[in-house]
Amino acid sequence: MLKNYIKIAFRNLWKDKSFTLLNLLGLSIAFAAALLLAMYAFFDLSYDQFHKNKEAIFQVYYTEQTPGGRALATSMPVPFAPALREELPNIKHVTRYMSDGALNLEEGKELNLRLIFTDPDFFEMFTFETLLGSADVLKENSKISITEETAQKLFGRTDVLGQSLNLLINGRKEAFTVGSILKDIPITSGLRFDVAVNFTHSPNYAENLDRWDARNHSVFIQLDEGATPSALTKSAASFTNLHYQGNIEDLKRDGAQPNANGNYLELNLLPFKDMHFADFSGDSLKVSRAYPYMILGIGLLILFIAGINFVNMSIARSAQRLREIGMRKTLGAAKKQLFFQFWSESVWIFLIALLLGIGLSLALESPFRQLFNTPARLTDLSSSTLLIALFISFILITFIAGGYPALVLSKLGTLKALKGKLDLAGKNRVRNVLMVVQFSIAIVLISGTFVLGKQLDYMRNKDLGFNKEEVIAIPLNGKRANRQNVALLRNELAGKPGILSVSASDNNLGLGRDGSTYFSRMGFDYKGRGVATNMLVVDYDYPETLGLQLKEGRTFSRSFSGDSLSIVINEAMARELQEKEPVNKQIILDDSITYTIVGVLKDYNFQSLSKKIEPISMFMNRDWDLYYAFIKIAPQNRVQSFEAIEDAWKRIEPNAEFLGSFIDENIDRTFKRERTMTTIISSGSLIAIILSCIGLFAISMLVVTQRTKEIGVRKVVGASVAQITFLLTKDFLKLVGVAFLIAAPVAWWLLSQWLQDYEYRIELHLWIFLAAGLLAVFIALVTISFRTIRAALKNPVESLRTE
Amino acid sequence: MLLQLNHIYKWVKQGGKRVFLLNDISLDVEEGEFISIMGPSGSGKSTLLNVIGMLDEFQEGEYIFDGEPVHSLKEKQRAKLYKEYIGFVFQAYHLIDELTVYENIETPLLYKNIKSSERKALVADMLDRFNIVGKKDLFPAQLSGGQQQLVGIARALIAKPKLILADEPTGNLNSKQGEEIMELFKELNTEGVTIIQATHSESNAAYGNRIIHLLDGSKQLQPQN
Repeated sequence: MLKNYIKIAFRNLWKDKSFTLLNLLGLSIAFAAALLLAMYAFFDLSYDQFHKNKEAIFQVYYTEQTPGGRALATSMPVPFAPALREELPNIKHVTRYMSDGALNLEEGKELNLRLIFTDPDFFEMFTFETLLGSADVLKENSKISITEETAQKLFGRTDVLGQSLNLLINGRKEAFTVGSILKDIPITSGLRFDVAVNFTHSPNYAENLDRWDARNHSVFIQLDEGATPSALTKSAASFTNLHYQGNIEDLKRDGAQPNANGNYLELNLLPFKDMHFADFSGDSLKVSRAYPYMILGIGLLILFIAGINFVNMSIARSAQRLREIGMRKTLGAAKKQLFFQFWSESVWIFLIALLLGIGLSLALESPFRQLFNTPARLTDLSSSTLLIALFISFILITFIAGGYPALVLSKLGTLKALKGKLDLAGKNRVRNVLMVVQFSIAIVLISGTFVLGKQLDYMRNKDLGFNKEEVIAIPLNGKRANRQNVALLRNELAGKPGILSVSASDNNLGLGRDGSTYFSRMGFDYKGRGVATNMLVVDYDYPETLGLQLKEGRTFSRSFSGDSLSIVINEAMARELQEKEPVNKQIILDDSITYTIVGVLKDYNFQSLSKKIEPISMFMNRDWDLYYAFIKIAPQNRVQSFEAIEDAWKRIEPNAEFLGSFIDENIDRTFKRERTMTTIISSGSLIAIILSCIGLFAISMLVVTQRTKEIGVRKVVGASVAQITFLLTKDFLKLVGVAFLIAAPVAWWLLSQWLQDYEYRIELHLWIFLAAGLLAVFIALVTISFRTIRAALKNPVESLRTE
Repeated sequence: MLLQLNHIYKWVKQGGKRVFLLNDISLDVEEGEFISIMGPSGSGKSTLLNVIGMLDEFQEGEYIFDGEPVHSLKEKQRAKLYKEYIGFVFQAYHLIDELTVYENIETPLLYKNIKSSERKALVADMLDRFNIVGKKDLFPAQLSGGQQQLVGIARALIAKPKLILADEPTGNLNSKQGEEIMELFKELNTEGVTIIQATHSESNAAYGNRIIHLLDGSKQLQPQN
């Protein structure tokens, strides 16, 4: 019996080659796309999930009731972690975690290393396997852990236990001994480093040892088995009230409102496994896996569309198999047997398509990884649970998309089938609904492409308030002190054609090629209120180099000797201070040092465009370090100027890598997620459109065949080619129209939700959706016209003769 | 008695009025009979055959097949009954285009869950008997009409039915082929298979040992001559 089914299945597939081909094409594209998207999504979802203790590990964060509303912070003061361990129950491990950069000082091998300062507990909590040496190596102050990859880079081999290593950390040279070699950090780890050193080496460790108001690192804890995070949060109330007493009193004084628990400052715990998906920037913690799920969803939609094609084609084609069905029934086939026969035919198509799809996805894997900038691999999908999940979804698809037509066919009445009469009205309704769904999905995705593209374009081209096209930022990663290097750069480049000015600051704009981001903020009391600001340490000419607009006052100048005690603020800071005329107003920091505001800059977007412009204050204190040089060049000969700068840097720091880049590139780099999303949605909509068109094409082919006689008769009685084409087209266009009416509001809602995340965003206009709808109509028209025009042009004698 | 129809009525509604397809048909068929149903187009010949073959329903009356009251059976039981006892032969042969001669003949056995070795033997016998061994791997499209109908009959016979229902079995054939098929029916009948055929042709009808005339769904009483 089975053999018979297989035989007839293949003969049928072979007989209807165009149908089989279109289905195989559509389904294998869909399987490949879905697999690649699943690979991407599952990779994202697998972030930080490899730690054995992930269920018990939490990141500590504060919820602070400021006068301006609630704010979250993950930065902790140095004494926090030891106090937590001492004073709170049920804590198995605590570790501080701070990432930084270090420069290896071995001769001829100046390598920038990603370094973390952490506590010995770190390796007890997190699953970073120690290959050589012991896991508690950080208990010795001078010992460090390095990864295998790092060992290979530094020493050319991995058995380097006991080797000494000189590192330049924040301008200080320190000697360490390699105490353990770690297995390379998995790519799905949110915690990434080359070298781990004891936290006591962290910058200003000694000064901050007892300071609860200087916060500069993250803290992770592991709870005892059975302990709950909520219990810990509760028992932490007295801990915060004790250690943050001053802080809390300030908040009360400034008019902050306590939260529902009556607290001004609360300790909360974020499950470590959610860390990759957490967003602390709002007034409450948002853990959202929406992004990977959306990508998975697009994959499913594509599969869905291909499934619809399959269902529609199978049902439309069933007319040709009615006699067989009837015959089989008179020969004694039961419904069950017929169902199984037709279903197994579908299974074959699906199976072949799956194999082709897997092949296709393997072939497209590396371009995909490049295009979407992901390290994910298809082999990541080979874990057993995932395989089972994929297998189950395959069976499900086969069952639904293959089973429905089989069910319809097997239920036909024997006589009706034998006579070749198919009650098509009902089937057409199902087909029409499915096609509407298909085109709705396509229209939503096309609108998404338009809107995301426009928003990305808007963010790229928005005037950020500074010159991003003609300014190059260079991470100062040299061996020499950074200020010295800035001075050398100034000298080297002075008078060079095309170089307009050189300055520096302690933070980059956008995301540089060094890949590092950080922010520094401070709070202080001003006229009896607490105020908060971002901090930026700058060198002379900073606003001029960046092209920042001065609103009033002046900027830092060499002609004023006391400028190390001057500050320049932005308009947002002036508002924060509630000063109409802030110039010459004074603020007191660190209890005693008085700074004078000398100038106000117009607001500029120094942070992400998803945020409002925050207050910022610029300092020019020579004791504070600078980390980035900024060089303004003339608009002409950008390439030569860039090369001149690179040469200059190479002369100053021959062993350090040159990581300079134009700021517009840096800004662009921060849109990685938006860009990936746009690429995914636009390729998703492209595939959706292609698949929908394959379906439409097949259906139009079948409809034209079914109506050959009608077309012939109409032509004989005088219909023109245009009239017939219109007749055949209008039914399909109606469907696309209905799809538009359904899709437009859905797309509008989804996209306006998405745009909410951006403080600076485009307006949604009706024409975007109309354009998407028109595009869908146009593509549908072109697709159908292949067949309809040909049918309309046919000599009616021919079509009537065949009847 | 093989089957008995008692006052069968079948109608469709057209514009609120009943149009009778079968009008008070009563018929007794004994085992071993060869009955010809005659009548012009639209007289209800095919409908009657379909009702007897349990492919079609009727609104009123009783139908008893081999002692079983067909009118009160569920579809599944009815299917089981005709699968077991009835073979169909059609004017348009209705072979399955995608299957070879061999496979077409084999199909009813598959649906009766007969073992592979037994199937082989039965199909081989049938091919032998109809002299089409050499054509067993051909597809229906490669055969002449007469040969196709031969396969159709072989397929109807393979499950050893008690009753063969033939709807215009020679309608698509030329007279010589038609004659051969009728001779074959005659032969089968003498071997004990009950046959009911619908036909237009007087000469074909004459092969039967009883003729029933239908007009507008009613049995016509015609003098036997």
